[in-house]
Amino acid sequence: MSQQKVKRLVAVSAKELLLTALLLLGVSWVVFLILYLAPGDPFVAMLGGRMLQGEEREAALQALGLPSTWYGQYFSWLINMLQGDFGESLRNGQPVAAELWNSGLKTLLLTMGALLVTLLIAVPVSIYNAIHTGTKTAWILKMFAYIVSALPLFWLAYVAIYWFTQKLGMFPVLTGSQTDWNWVYIAVPVVLLGVGNGAISEIVRHLHEELGRVLNEEYIRTARAKGASVWRHAFKEGLLLPVSEIIASKIPFVIGGAIIVEQIFNWPGMGRLAWQAALDRDFPVIMGIAIVTAVFVRFASLCNRFIYISVNPRASNE
Amino acid sequence: MKTRYIQTTETIDEYSHLPLWKTCSKIDLIYIVYGLLVLATVLVSYGLGALNWLPSDPDSMDLENMMVAPLTSGYFLGTDYMGRDLLSRLIIGIQAYFVPGLLSIFISLSLGSIMGILSGYQGGRVESVVEYFSNLIDSFPRLVLILLFIAAFTPNIYIIMIVVGLTTAPVVAGLVRGKILFLKQRNFVESAIAMGLPTYQIILKHILWYNCRSILLIQATLGMAEAILIETSLSYLGFGVQEPVPSWGNMVQSGSNYLMQGNFWPSTAPALAILATVLGFHLLGDGLNNVLERKER
Amino acid sequence: MEHIPLLQIEDLRTYFYSSAKQAFIRSVDGVDLTIEQGSTLGIVGESGSGKSITMLSTMGLISANPGVLTGKVLLNQKGNPVNLLEGLEQYVELEHNSGKILKLSKDNRAWKKQQEKNMATVRGKQISMIFQNPKAAMNPYETIGKQISEMIKLHTEIKDNNSAKEKAISWLERVKIDSPGMRFENYPHGLSGGMCQRAMIAMALSSEPSLLIADEPTTGLDATIQSKIVELLQELQTDLGITTILISHDISVITKLADSVAVMYGGKVLENGPAELVLKANEDASHPYTRALLASIPDLSNVDANGRLPAIPGEVLDTINLTQGCRFYARCEKFTTQCESKCKTQEPPLFRMDGKHHIRCWLFEKG
Repeated sequence: MSQQKVKRLVAVSAKELLLTALLLLGVSWVVFLILYLAPGDPFVAMLGGRMLQGEEREAALQALGLPSTWYGQYFSWLINMLQGDFGESLRNGQPVAAELWNSGLKTLLLTMGALLVTLLIAVPVSIYNAIHTGTKTAWILKMFAYIVSALPLFWLAYVAIYWFTQKLGMFPVLTGSQTDWNWVYIAVPVVLLGVGNGAISEIVRHLHEELGRVLNEEYIRTARAKGASVWRHAFKEGLLLPVSEIIASKIPFVIGGAIIVEQIFNWPGMGRLAWQAALDRDFPVIMGIAIVTAVFVRFASLCNRFIYISVNPRASNE
Repeated sequence: MKTRYIQTTETIDEYSHLPLWKTCSKIDLIYIVYGLLVLATVLVSYGLGALNWLPSDPDSMDLENMMVAPLTSGYFLGTDYMGRDLLSRLIIGIQAYFVPGLLSIFISLSLGSIMGILSGYQGGRVESVVEYFSNLIDSFPRLVLILLFIAAFTPNIYIIMIVVGLTTAPVVAGLVRGKILFLKQRNFVESAIAMGLPTYQIILKHILWYNCRSILLIQATLGMAEAILIETSLSYLGFGVQEPVPSWGNMVQSGSNYLMQGNFWPSTAPALAILATVLGFHLLGDGLNNVLERKER
Repeated sequence: MEHIPLLQIEDLRTYFYSSAKQAFIRSVDGVDLTIEQGSTLGIVGESGSGKSITMLSTMGLISANPGVLTGKVLLNQKGNPVNLLEGLEQYVELEHNSGKILKLSKDNRAWKKQQEKNMATVRGKQISMIFQNPKAAMNPYETIGKQISEMIKLHTEIKDNNSAKEKAISWLERVKIDSPGMRFENYPHGLSGGMCQRAMIAMALSSEPSLLIADEPTTGLDATIQSKIVELLQELQTDLGITTILISHDISVITKLADSVAVMYGGKVLENGPAELVLKANEDASHPYTRALLASIPDLSNVDANGRLPAIPGEVLDTINLTQGCRFYARCEKFTTQCESKCKTQEPPLFRMDGKHHIRCWLFEKG
């Protein structure tokens, strides 16, 4: 690689990083704005432990040493957060950051596993459809993908639980005092979320179209004319780039599905925490979750951009 | 497997005058017909539910006929765990998502079109700003954002659907922008400007109406499918329509407790309704996309 | 020993099924061509005449699925003619009625498999191809150097990276790219169209094939670059003596490079023969279409009194609705009263003029 090229890559990457930072700032803004607009001044409630109004509110703010203007509040919240302090849960007084860390790792395991399952189903179906467009098998595979994407996830989960309990004598739901961690407790929720998150049909649609388009490109015809492997030439544009784009864009979907799956299987992850927080109006927790998931989504998107930049030689010229 | 191609017409002098449905592939036609049937069923059922013209009272409990199979005791689709008529509850359940779904579609289409036109037509700095906002919206997992709104405000389906509309707008914006860039590449926009057409006419009539209507139609069908899935997810989480008012989501949810005991039907019937409807809207969108969009390329 | 030409195409037919038009499009409708070792065959015709499809069919690159491909493509492999379309018919069932296809059923997968099997040792190794629009025809995700090295490693004795690179650079030098060592690292988007075409020519020749097919190699390039590419091809021909099939709608390119010429129209060869005979277009020994085609080339001598260039009246033949008679009849201006009835109703065969010159026109019926 020439030095000039390295320089250009660095410049483009720096631009992407800056953009991500700006977006995360925007994310914090949106979250703050929603809470700020919410009735009952939850922001102060969050800091003071309960809803306050008028002079009492001012007094509480002063007692806590907090600014009374909205931007003052925003910056104090933002600075705390940057230092890793997400506040304390209104429900149990525990520090939110620790809870997010514990549950976040478990959700990461669930969502990454599920995404892998989703891709293991969707990518082969797309490839088969792109090669054998219009055949009966291709159609059946595609319909299967469409049907599992249209089923309600929790119904699918209940059927799976029923089947496991009746046929295998296993109850794949974590109960309060679970000690014997078994593969079933991990595999069943992961596979279910992977199959039923509703993204498969969209992935198949997109990837089939992209791959079909690339296979009809002129340079693929050249590759065939020179007796080279079509797949070696189509891989970068037809598979690597669209799949990395899909992973980045579908992570939010999978996280959404995780909220439901964690609920059903008692999975002690961030999804359950979010649900509980929404139910209790536990603002510090739900705000923390929104921020953490957004950071995660942006990180995935950044990875996608880096892959794009390093694979596509035209990217550094844009 | 053998594929058959049959020359149906002896000689074709003017194929461009063939109606659209004759020139598109048979499978797309099946998708569209199925999707339209689903759409018609939903519309008619919505009307029936709104007028309260139902086979029986969806709230009356027949304690002697609990969880009966379809076509027994005068219940076409059987009854649920409290002996309520499933068919009537399914019909009424459409009320839970239909109008809110339309709201979310309206928001995503209008906001998405505006964003798409701003970025595609204007370009430059405006484009960067719109792209920033699209990325910002895309940063939040939709369900997390909805939960945030629920915590901040109230678990109201209309607020939720506004959020859904907002979060789907970037998709529409991207498609509209792509279309405008495609038209610009073909000097379509330049020639319209050269003809002296006023800007609003170029945008509204020539870009949005003539060239983006099929995109918007397809996105509208997909939006309804999305609304159904969101409503069912929220009902399951306990933030949607509450019992005894039926929605497809809470019907699956309440029936699922009995599923564990082997009583499949009360939760499977609404699950199948969701499947058939969502699949219908998805296939309608696909079919329309293949027939209307691919032809132009 | 019997003389075997390098490539012989016999009665090649390529039909596509268009679902939008609900009909078969006869892109290539019975083409016979012969190319001798060391010669250059030029194929001319308007766009849509089937010249590119003929060559893509020869290479087995017809990807449009609902298609029929029949006939023989005989490639001379060490003295034995090998049919490249061997065994393809068994996967296709055709039902026709006086030339009109009524029904076609085809086992696409087996058909494709058979095609790949037939072509496995041919593509790149024995026949190389260069295309128009070289920037789109080269892989935009890989350096041109890597693409040329790949060709060398696939089809020659050279297998290791370093010597392949050396060889590739020497080929780049051969096609007159300056500072080839640096260009080796360039991606197609960093090169000009002409430079890209040179790289593609280098890639095609780097496997030392016995036949080069150039499909509109100068189309889409600037006029000055076009002439440079033609010069390069001329030079490479004299240096390497490679057999070439050149497809072009640009007669000036054909004039410069070809020894023999075939004129195609509506999926059929209307005239073929030595270049000087065909392109001279004598009144008494030339197809009316060839004459019209040559007359439409911009040149100071052929404009009429009003300063207008003669054009061929009518439009390019719609290959769906073939009429019974001669395909050029509707646009022909030369038919005589004696032959008109035949032109309308009967497809003319190729009439032999002198030597290897053939014309498909009733005007030249003998006897």
